[in-house]
Amino acid sequence: MAPITTASNEETHAALLDALDMQKVPKPFRNPHYRAPQRRNKNLKQILSEAQRAQQSVLNTQQNSGAVTPQTTVEGDPASASLNPNPAQGSQDLNRLVLEKNAQQSNGTGAAATLSVGLPTSSTGPSVTYTSIQAAPSKKPKKKYCDITGLPTTYTDPKTGLNYYNAEMFKVVRGLSTGQIQEYLALRNANTVLK
Amino acid sequence: MPHFTRTIPISTSTARNTPKPPPSTPYLLSDPPYTGQLPTSTSTYRTSIGATAIVIDNGSSSVRAGWQTDASPRLQFPPLMARYTDRKLNRRLCFIGSEIYFDGTARGQAKSLYEPGSNVVNNWDVQEGILDYIFVKLGVDGRDGVVDRPVVMTEPLANTGYTRKVMSELLFELYNVPSVAYGVDALFSYNYNGGNTGLIVSSANTSTHLIPVVNQQPLLGQATRLDWGRANCADLLTRLLRTKYPGLLTTGKVTDTQIEDLVRQHCYISLDYDAEMQRMLDWTGLEARDHLVQLPYQEKEVIQKTEEELRIAEERKRESGRRLQEQAAKMRLEKLVRKEQELEYFKDLQLRVQEAPNKKEARSMLEEEEFRDEAALERRIKEMEKSIRRQRNKDVGDLEEESEEPPTYPLLDVKDEDLDEEGLKAKKAQRLLKSNHDARARAKAEKEAEKLRQAELQRLDDIRRETDLDAWVAERRAARAGTIQRIKDRDRLKAELGNRKSQASQMRMKHIANLASDTPFGRKRRRGQNADDDGFGADDADWAIYREIQAGKDNDDDDAEEEGEDYGAQLKEIEKQLLQYDPNFTEESLEERRRDWTRSLHHAFHHGPYSYDSESARESAQLHLNVERIRVPEVIFHPEIAGLDQAGIVEIAEDILTDPLRLASHPARNDILKDVFVTGGYALFQNFEERLRSELQAVLPVDVALRVRRARDPVLDAWKGAARWAGQVERRGAFVSREEWLEKGGEYLKEHHLGNAFP
Repeated sequence: MAPITTASNEETHAALLDALDMQKVPKPFRNPHYRAPQRRNKNLKQILSEAQRAQQSVLNTQQNSGAVTPQTTVEGDPASASLNPNPAQGSQDLNRLVLEKNAQQSNGTGAAATLSVGLPTSSTGPSVTYTSIQAAPSKKPKKKYCDITGLPTTYTDPKTGLNYYNAEMFKVVRGLSTGQIQEYLALRNANTVLK
Repeated sequence: MPHFTRTIPISTSTARNTPKPPPSTPYLLSDPPYTGQLPTSTSTYRTSIGATAIVIDNGSSSVRAGWQTDASPRLQFPPLMARYTDRKLNRRLCFIGSEIYFDGTARGQAKSLYEPGSNVVNNWDVQEGILDYIFVKLGVDGRDGVVDRPVVMTEPLANTGYTRKVMSELLFELYNVPSVAYGVDALFSYNYNGGNTGLIVSSANTSTHLIPVVNQQPLLGQATRLDWGRANCADLLTRLLRTKYPGLLTTGKVTDTQIEDLVRQHCYISLDYDAEMQRMLDWTGLEARDHLVQLPYQEKEVIQKTEEELRIAEERKRESGRRLQEQAAKMRLEKLVRKEQELEYFKDLQLRVQEAPNKKEARSMLEEEEFRDEAALERRIKEMEKSIRRQRNKDVGDLEEESEEPPTYPLLDVKDEDLDEEGLKAKKAQRLLKSNHDARARAKAEKEAEKLRQAELQRLDDIRRETDLDAWVAERRAARAGTIQRIKDRDRLKAELGNRKSQASQMRMKHIANLASDTPFGRKRRRGQNADDDGFGADDADWAIYREIQAGKDNDDDDAEEEGEDYGAQLKEIEKQLLQYDPNFTEESLEERRRDWTRSLHHAFHHGPYSYDSESARESAQLHLNVERIRVPEVIFHPEIAGLDQAGIVEIAEDILTDPLRLASHPARNDILKDVFVTGGYALFQNFEERLRSELQAVLPVDVALRVRRARDPVLDAWKGAARWAGQVERRGAFVSREEWLEKGGEYLKEHHLGNAFP
């Protein structure tokens, strides 16, 4: 256990270590009977896919049972009437659902804004989810920047796919190994990923 | 910048740029940010009432926590925990926050609360540790085994249900908190800065949110998230530097916190990115734009010896050399003596053999000494004599140089019939010797002739130069140009052969196929020729085909290098002559000098305006930040720079505010534009609001008024807003109590105008 910065010798370092250790500090406020659930650490991908599955099943039951009118279906709206109950295409439908609801809302915000205490969203159907607020891809033409120096450019090497600024940089690009080329491409997520 | 104009850089002058002297004070890397132990204070807890909330801004760059009555968060620390078993102490240790930085092992074991690259809490063990830490430091004594104060906690916009569920479970079940309220940090910050109607641009550590707010009501349906934040900047800078200086960052010399420091110290947002980028590596003023960061390095030790020491060392060396020589000479002398004795013995033996009474006796004598016959003995004696003479000549120098007489071959003139078997053998040997000797002589003569020829050529060349300098110079220059062209051609051919589809490699394949084919085409068969003979090799030029196909081989490196050196040497020779005799040919026009580093963009990019010596340990441990300084923070405006397939914040804002499906026709739209509010860690970059304002102005209709402002404290205002909000009595309705949570389920949430909506 090598001291890095503050403590100079072994002894003071050990003392500091002792002082900072949180393990031995009593925590009487913790519930001693609490047991953490298994596998509670989930990454974002897992959380989102689980949420989507849950939502999809809700949607399907709504559509199939006939007991409940799908909340987003507006009378005479062909788009939402054609919602596909097929789960394979469900994700697209879900996205559309969100978009429609948002569109509806924005059209209706004139009314909502006048309501001083009206909540921003009603609790009907899927509205603002982690995935739905994600920014869409840009619709503007992408600018090219030299992959090595970052300078704005218009040239691309057809062999490697790297953008380069001038003849000198072209020479550099042509002198790169395959690994280096992929490394440069990875900087803008354009590299080839083998699976 | 909607108007993309680009000027192609043309360097007008060909003069050399003068290299700059190295900067006197390079930037250095910071130490790990160990800030000391945070104090534990129980006084506020003891004086507080049961409704005083603990406010936690659960951020990914740092967690801020304190009592709602505090003016600013009393605890601020990075969301890191290191928990491990120390083998020496045989004890489990746990460190939280910046306290992990004091120790190397703890630093290595540190885990973050968040999943890298996302704004969602991912590691709940760390969350437990952090909450423990906060409650301990805030002096919660837990007399009843509970944390008996409400908790206000921030969460990301549109937090996932699962995350909120687990967080509530932790707070209610593990800590028995009476009630909890969740809110969005950006909304707290806006509220704290007196916002009413506007567009929040909250660019934090892991993500950027744009949230339009009308009459203090966030239009969450219109909110948009861009997955880019300060942490991504640090990550991008690491990757950029890793490709820029391969090997420099891989050795673990630079830690993540140091990279973050580099981002903080050197990066800024450019007001006009493309134009500034274009000028970034220009020679003029490069020393101001280029920031040199010196990494720690180990200087190679060069011991300076004094004159005296050098002399003594030299002496010692000579002394030992002499001693060695003496020893060798002595040994040689001993050997010589022994050899002479041996010679004496053999000569004696020869005499004895000759005087032997009969042949049998003589044979036995010879066999004892392992000689086949008398001739062998004779040969041996001759050999020994010769070697002794040579050695004596060398060592003692008491014998005159052996006259090098041409060897005679007497047997060659004798006819075969006159010789017996033995004689024939000897004749054969002599003939071999003679041909050897003759060949050597011929080669020698040829060499002499070549030397003469060269001298003659040189003489003629000199005469030509003296008589007509101009013509000579023109010829040399042409030769130089030709050589340069050949070098270029060779390089191009090499490059082309790398491409399978290039003409060069296709030609090569054709040649190979043709050579291997039984019926080669393109070679006319002459009449009367053998059917099996295609006439290959009749012309010497035919063989060049093998050179040609060889050139494409991958392992021809040594061959090509050989040739390359050949061309290089030729070029050097010609340039040397030109330099000597051509008055117009100066050092400046040398081919090597053409590749002057002061004119090289690549050099400016890697090493700034300073000379670079790859041998120097100091210089090879330097980072130059130039284009990166604006390239890294620029991503928020142009995410494609980092390969992020999302729109930049200006496009998002434009979309929200001018898309007819969104807020274009909203009655409060123009009011929203009057208050574009910037908060979060990204807002600390210099020029952020100015850039946002100018870009927004460019995409909005001309007549709208636009105002961009920054939070008073972009980093801490979220916590302060949450604390103030918690202090308002009417907000108590937004807290979810333990009973409600137990009754209504894990994801239960009360909506309020500074928090998320229930999905």
